[in-house]
Amino acid sequence: MDTAQGKPSAESAVRTLVSYLGEGRAAEAQIPSTQRAFVTVPLDSLRDAMAFLVRDQGFGHLSTITAVDVNEHMEVLYHLSDRTVSLSLRVLVPKDHLVLPSAVDLVPGAVLYEREVHELFGIVFEGHPGLQPLLLPDGWPEGLYPMRKKLSLEQIRGVLADAREAYKARR
Amino acid sequence: MPEKPTKQDDSFIVPIGPQHPALKEFEYFELRVDGEQVLDVSVRLGYNHRGIEKALESRTYSQNLYLVERICGICSHAHTTCYCQAIEQLLNVEIPDRARYIRTLVAELERIHSHLLWLGIAAHEIGFDTLFMYVWADREIVMDLLELISGNRVNYAMNTIGGVTRDVRPAMSDKIMTGIHQLEARARYYKGMCLEEGSVMQRVAGVGILQRQDALDLCAVGPTLRACGVASDLRKDDPYAAYDALSFDVITYDGGDVGSRMLVRIDEVAQSVHIIEQCLQQMPPGSLQVKVPGKVPSGEAVSRVEAPRGELIHYARSNGSDQPERYKVRAPTFANMPALSKMLIGGYIADVPIVIAGIDPCFGCLDRMSFVDVRTGRNWVWSSEQLRRRAQA
Repeated sequence: MDTAQGKPSAESAVRTLVSYLGEGRAAEAQIPSTQRAFVTVPLDSLRDAMAFLVRDQGFGHLSTITAVDVNEHMEVLYHLSDRTVSLSLRVLVPKDHLVLPSAVDLVPGAVLYEREVHELFGIVFEGHPGLQPLLLPDGWPEGLYPMRKKLSLEQIRGVLADAREAYKARR
Repeated sequence: MPEKPTKQDDSFIVPIGPQHPALKEFEYFELRVDGEQVLDVSVRLGYNHRGIEKALESRTYSQNLYLVERICGICSHAHTTCYCQAIEQLLNVEIPDRARYIRTLVAELERIHSHLLWLGIAAHEIGFDTLFMYVWADREIVMDLLELISGNRVNYAMNTIGGVTRDVRPAMSDKIMTGIHQLEARARYYKGMCLEEGSVMQRVAGVGILQRQDALDLCAVGPTLRACGVASDLRKDDPYAAYDALSFDVITYDGGDVGSRMLVRIDEVAQSVHIIEQCLQQMPPGSLQVKVPGKVPSGEAVSRVEAPRGELIHYARSNGSDQPERYKVRAPTFANMPALSKMLIGGYIADVPIVIAGIDPCFGCLDRMSFVDVRTGRNWVWSSEQLRRRAQA
């Protein structure tokens, strides 16, 4: 969407996306303002919806990816932008199968955001070039994801203290 | 007889980083080099990862204001502006007009400060320490103005949920005007110096090239993106505070190199001066803040701010209590990391310091460089001083 052609509109972006996805794959949308939208799509429509927004609708800028730990699901939000409108594309990922297709082929700039979400929440992005640790310290145990709700600050402090001890012992 | 090394084996791994005790960000770059040329880059961040997002979930909204202020020492106002906007959206409150102007005014002073700080550092990286001294002397002018307004040289604590904490009194206006006009004149002088003093442009023109399409694909932000000819600036694209009522230009250059990034920032200082002038002239009288409740109704909000280094985005999720359910922060330096790797590939080791500095990160990583010869296992360490000397040779 070109800003020069008129006012930015989250509503028209959402309308276009919903009609593209069609009846069978209903998306749920909230539009809090003219430049903000949140659209929830089913997991199997994520690639399609993102490809449409990125390639055809000018939403090529991925601001970041946010994961939220909610009970039995992980919510993952892709904050896409056409510069003026920030459209957050949301999927719910079941906790017993935390796998999403990587978006790196559609948006190369997703590379570090997916690494971050993988490291802190334990979501696997299939097709990502390498989900190595990015932010957590050396000695952080594999398979422990600090941003999950069930891991408390006290537990995290304990893990960090253990990692420090192990590091000292190695020296 | 040992086998002849393959082409792959001719390459060296050059680890850069991660520690620098004095600067605020730690990064680790692993460069694969063939001779002097960089073939590939991998990044390891997080040496200064403080778990702020987790900490934000266990504090109240008003406590978080102080934590958010301390995410960054240079653009603390950008973070609190972004945070307050997110929470104000959730609360559905409108802040007073005067508060919008004060937020804008402080944001632009902060931008001037950040850009001057960067220019000094860039000058230092290319071995032009006279320019570094000059610029940092001028930086005192803007720090004095920030102290005059907020009482602090850093971490201004001007924002609060629902408005601002301090007024910009009419008595301050003259001092601010004098200061910013001094700064404008200095910016003009530095621009002339960068363009006319051959040793500057020789060192930055054509260095650390980022193609326009790569910048867009890799989701680069801020001056890094604008130096690739993309007129992207949230102050225009997604206006907040008082920006929709002010006139200013979005500065672009299309060299895609460190030189263009330098010129974008210098020109932006002049635009910031222009914005501050308008703020002082147009600022309406009135209250500074509205009272807000401690508990925030359930909801979610995305807030974006054009920080000195580019797009800053916060995402807030509330659950009806006085603490957020989730709070996400993505600062501009993180967004520019993939683009930075791209700039380094194909360049020379000697250009690594100025290219890394070119995106305006906190390049604490450069203090200690360890060079490992993968064939012999021999490794040695270069200090930033040696590197800089090498860069200037």
